[in-house]
Amino acid sequence: MRLLMRPAAAFLLTFLLSLAFSLPARATDGEYIAIRKEGSGRIALIVAPPLAEGGKASSWSGEIDREIRRALDFTGLFNMIPPPMNLFEEGKGGKPALNFGALNSIGAEVFAGGTVSGDPDRVRLTMAAYETFGAKPILSKTYTGSSGDLRALAHAFCADLVQLLTGHRSVFGSSIVFVSNQSGFKEIYSCAFDGSNVRQLTRSRSISLTPALSPDGTSLAFTDYTSGRPALKIMNLSDRRIASVRQSGVSIDPGWRSNAEVATTLSFQGDQEIYLVRTDGSLSRRVTSSRGIDLSPSFSPDGSRMAFVSARYGNPQIFILDLISGQTRRLTYNGNYNTQPSWSPAGDKIAYSSMEKNGEINIFTIRADGSGATQLTSGDRENESPSWSPGGDMIVFTSSRQGQKKLYVMNANGEHQRRLLQMSGEQMQPSWSFVR
Amino acid sequence: MKKSVYGILSLAVLFTAGCSSKNAVAPSGGADAGAGAGVPAPAPVTSVEAGPSGYGFDEYQTGPLGDVFYEFDSSELSSDAQNQLQQNATWMGNNAGASTLIEGHCDERGTSEYNMALGERRATNAKEYIVRLGIPSSRIETVSYGEEKPFAAGHDESAWSKNRRAHFILK
Repeated sequence: MRLLMRPAAAFLLTFLLSLAFSLPARATDGEYIAIRKEGSGRIALIVAPPLAEGGKASSWSGEIDREIRRALDFTGLFNMIPPPMNLFEEGKGGKPALNFGALNSIGAEVFAGGTVSGDPDRVRLTMAAYETFGAKPILSKTYTGSSGDLRALAHAFCADLVQLLTGHRSVFGSSIVFVSNQSGFKEIYSCAFDGSNVRQLTRSRSISLTPALSPDGTSLAFTDYTSGRPALKIMNLSDRRIASVRQSGVSIDPGWRSNAEVATTLSFQGDQEIYLVRTDGSLSRRVTSSRGIDLSPSFSPDGSRMAFVSARYGNPQIFILDLISGQTRRLTYNGNYNTQPSWSPAGDKIAYSSMEKNGEINIFTIRADGSGATQLTSGDRENESPSWSPGGDMIVFTSSRQGQKKLYVMNANGEHQRRLLQMSGEQMQPSWSFVR
Repeated sequence: MKKSVYGILSLAVLFTAGCSSKNAVAPSGGADAGAGAGVPAPAPVTSVEAGPSGYGFDEYQTGPLGDVFYEFDSSELSSDAQNQLQQNATWMGNNAGASTLIEGHCDERGTSEYNMALGERRATNAKEYIVRLGIPSSRIETVSYGEEKPFAAGHDESAWSKNRRAHFILK
């Protein structure tokens, strides 16, 4: 097919590049999604490999095309349709033009293609996207980098396309922190949004648990047993310096309120309560005061409300504390064991896990007003520790459905559940960063 | 004095073991544990060797202080547990130089963050009970391991019931 396209390449290149300079870098966010019907399913997308200008560029084209396809498919947002043979037709004056009739006839809603050129030090990837019905250009942008950055260039385009089509942040460039016992000890690791680029962040050889990245991605909060008891640690990821909370008792399960404050359960005053802690490890203030277990803070995007687990009425349920008014209300009423709240980036929903009488654990979402509880997993052992993607399209979670605990991702409605990464040992407690 | 108290304790432990079916476990190495603690073993009462055995003692606890066990998602002390804690308090009262670390443990069911909190409540409830019996709190430390360090392998109630415990370690 590429052979067929080559004679047309020079003309199309001119056509696409002229668009690149004539269009704004990004169309209005949400404009496209606004015309889609609510719940109309995946977007039918055709991606053509970027046309190569020059010998070296042809190898870059293949790599960029593979990466764009893989990355867009990962989001679960698209139905990827192969490009038709007659992608180009004869346009005005005999010049080749995109054949929107053919694109429409095979059901494509969006087409993306472009050009790649330059030399190894400066690769230029120019990508354009069209709404096929009406042949309307919706995105055109040039990405530059070295030939070692092809994956990043591809992801930058994917990020722009997904943000344009959905109106919110994409997963591209985000990372996930998690716990694995691969080394024989539970240590903290990170990986890219798609499970690639796994890195070990701690080597304490004790028990490291419950990692959470600050909203700006510069600090990692977690607990470990290096002092002999579970203590909160805050690692500056740029220099790996670690601040500790030096209080007696335990520290359990931190959750960030802002880049400056993390909340965690501490028991140095006797009863377990949730406190706000500064990034230097100093205490800011206590936010709960009820007898019994208070645990697992997760904040609304504006930091004004905190979802948390409390066993104040016997068994664990999820509550919401309004930090402005000081009012606490119970969120979950179904089931006897609801834990691990995770507030969505849009602020409207909270994901959590619920244990059934037979020991099976499943992930639910519920609106912050307590309505609309929706079960996302079922019939497959323990599914727990939900954490939202930066745009709220996806949820990463732990599942023991194949025996050992492993990381999985799914769309926010529960569809498209699949393994995130292949790694030995068990993986658990994933936390998706909100940064790009 | 020590000897007589210990003898009474041993009888109480044996009696408890006879009554408790739920968490009954095989007696193990009782004589070794008694010798290790520097306490002479009392004369055998039955064919079972004297020394720590019964409710709070199993292959995971062979020291002089017995462990206590819990129901799922509970840190409440059963009468067996209270009985064991009374015995532990008596021993600590008689061994004023001794201090202990109480580890709170949970079975693998449920979620690990909640189990970490539950394990701590198990340890602190056990500590508070002993402190109320007159043992200084400075001699008792607590820590929670949640579901991170189970004693018994396995994924059934026989393993779970062994893993829901406050575990006493002599320091």
